[in-house]
Amino acid sequence: MEKTIKILMVDDEEDFTQPMAFWFKTKGYEVSVANNGKAALEKINTDKPDIVFLDLNMPVMDGFETLKRIRKIDKTLPVIVISAYADPEKLKQMQPYAISGVFYKGSDFEEGATLIESVLRTHKKLKK
Amino acid sequence: MLRRYTIILIIIMSSVAFVYIVVAVVGVIIALILAYFATLQSKGNATANTSSAKRTVTSPTIHASIEDSLVKEIEPVLHSKKHSEIISKKISRIFNAELEKRINLTVQTISKKYTNIIEEKTRNAEIAIKKYKKAIEEKKDTEAVIRSIAEGLVVVDSEGKVIMLNPAAEKLLGVQKEEKLGKKLTEDIKEEQLISLVKQSPEEEKKEIELATSDDETKKILRASSAVIEDENGKTIGMVSVLSDITKQKELERMKSNFIASVSHELRTPLIAIDKSVSLLLSKSTGPISETQEQFLKIAQRNLKRLSSLINDLLDLSKLEAKKMQLEKQPSSIKDIVNEVAETFDTWANTKSITIDKKIEADLPMVNIDPQRIIQVLTNLVGNAIKFTPQGGAITIEARYKKNESCIMVSVADTGVGIDKKDLERIFDKFYQTAERPTSDISGTGLGLAICKELIELHGGKIWAESEKGYGAKFIFTLPLTNG
Repeated sequence: MEKTIKILMVDDEEDFTQPMAFWFKTKGYEVSVANNGKAALEKINTDKPDIVFLDLNMPVMDGFETLKRIRKIDKTLPVIVISAYADPEKLKQMQPYAISGVFYKGSDFEEGATLIESVLRTHKKLKK
Repeated sequence: MLRRYTIILIIIMSSVAFVYIVVAVVGVIIALILAYFATLQSKGNATANTSSAKRTVTSPTIHASIEDSLVKEIEPVLHSKKHSEIISKKISRIFNAELEKRINLTVQTISKKYTNIIEEKTRNAEIAIKKYKKAIEEKKDTEAVIRSIAEGLVVVDSEGKVIMLNPAAEKLLGVQKEEKLGKKLTEDIKEEQLISLVKQSPEEEKKEIELATSDDETKKILRASSAVIEDENGKTIGMVSVLSDITKQKELERMKSNFIASVSHELRTPLIAIDKSVSLLLSKSTGPISETQEQFLKIAQRNLKRLSSLINDLLDLSKLEAKKMQLEKQPSSIKDIVNEVAETFDTWANTKSITIDKKIEADLPMVNIDPQRIIQVLTNLVGNAIKFTPQGGAITIEARYKKNESCIMVSVADTGVGIDKKDLERIFDKFYQTAERPTSDISGTGLGLAICKELIELHGGKIWAESEKGYGAKFIFTLPLTNG
């Protein structure tokens, strides 16, 4: 790894983001957390994350609205949607805003790490 | 002497000739008269009635006219006015007497006949009136029934114009009967009031009509169940629609599906947080833990898995029952699915020394199914089979193509304890568990088979079990090749 990968986790469930952030940190990632969409947009500006994990159900500004706003300021930032369960309807709505993948909260964090690696690899290729 | 005889002979002959002539003349006259009366009589028939039955038909003037005619005919032959008159009178009298007799008889017959006809007609008329009155009463009853039913009823003709509209329909649609009769139902309803008119499926003839009520901003949703009215020749002459207000029902459905979605989220989120935290501790990335600590954390983790599989099953089942489960169908290979499921059970089967045999027919056709859901069904069946099969048993997964029924039949057979006959019918019920459940089993939710049944039926297939106590059990399901 040439450079530490910066992850931004956007989820109001701190009981979930804490163990997840801890796990990713032990694996050598740099992790910041925002607990709503508005805070996330600010962190994207200041922290310049490489990848965003975005929850859909949030107060203040939900995931859907956040994704729209992110796409206004950054068209290529990889966004992975975090979801407690699969809702095909919601994911369909997300399609036009180019999401890089879905991470189910029940899955192993290992799967999350694999997802990050593959998304960033593809992303790098596209950038070149 | 001879001369005298000759004279006598002449007299006799002339008398005979005279008689002949008279007879001939009278014959002609009678014929004429008969013809004359025949016409009179036929005119009389048309106006005959009961009161004329005993009336004398021939009048004095007719007598006189017959006598005059006879005299005129006879006199030139007899050359005696007096004789002619006497003969005429006599003939006339005889003739009249006979004629009157006949006419009276005819009149009587006719009168009787007409009396019968009139009586019959009167009877028929009475029956018709009775029927008419009954029909009117029935119509009133029907109208009263239609008026008082709570559901709206609209009848339209073949052009869609309203023929009938009951008060409930008036209220539901917010229209007046008088202004709708003879017009199309949707005519004049303002566009903002009629939000949508969606025909759901052609065979059900059910429509949902969304209306905005004028007094407030709430929407009203009506369901129209319609049936085509055909005459005896099968020609469409109109349509009858029953309207019911399903606004509340729709609201409840929406609440139920929202509830499922929110419960899915609310129940899973805390479970995931607990599971992740426990996993982190167990992974020792947070620091070393003692053996006892590890043992209890493992108990916590195992029961979390159990709880979350129960929640997943409950949510799946409520989704299935609410018809909210959407299948992601794609052409799939049953062989691949069987192999995948068998592989996931390898370790568990090995620990119980159970063999899993696969008998998959070569060249099975691809089938259009949701592979994840069929994997879920098969996982359930194989999992149950392993659970109920003692050490060293065998499980056979079989897949066959049933050409006649155009379906694929998959079965999972075991050499376990089997299922009692009385349980066979109930094992697909929710939360039903047989008494022979192994005590070591903590993973059963009692929902697995109920979910399997719903999932297979959603695919258009069937699922059932065959078993005899002590001889193992066999679970069979079919998947149709041509499903919608």
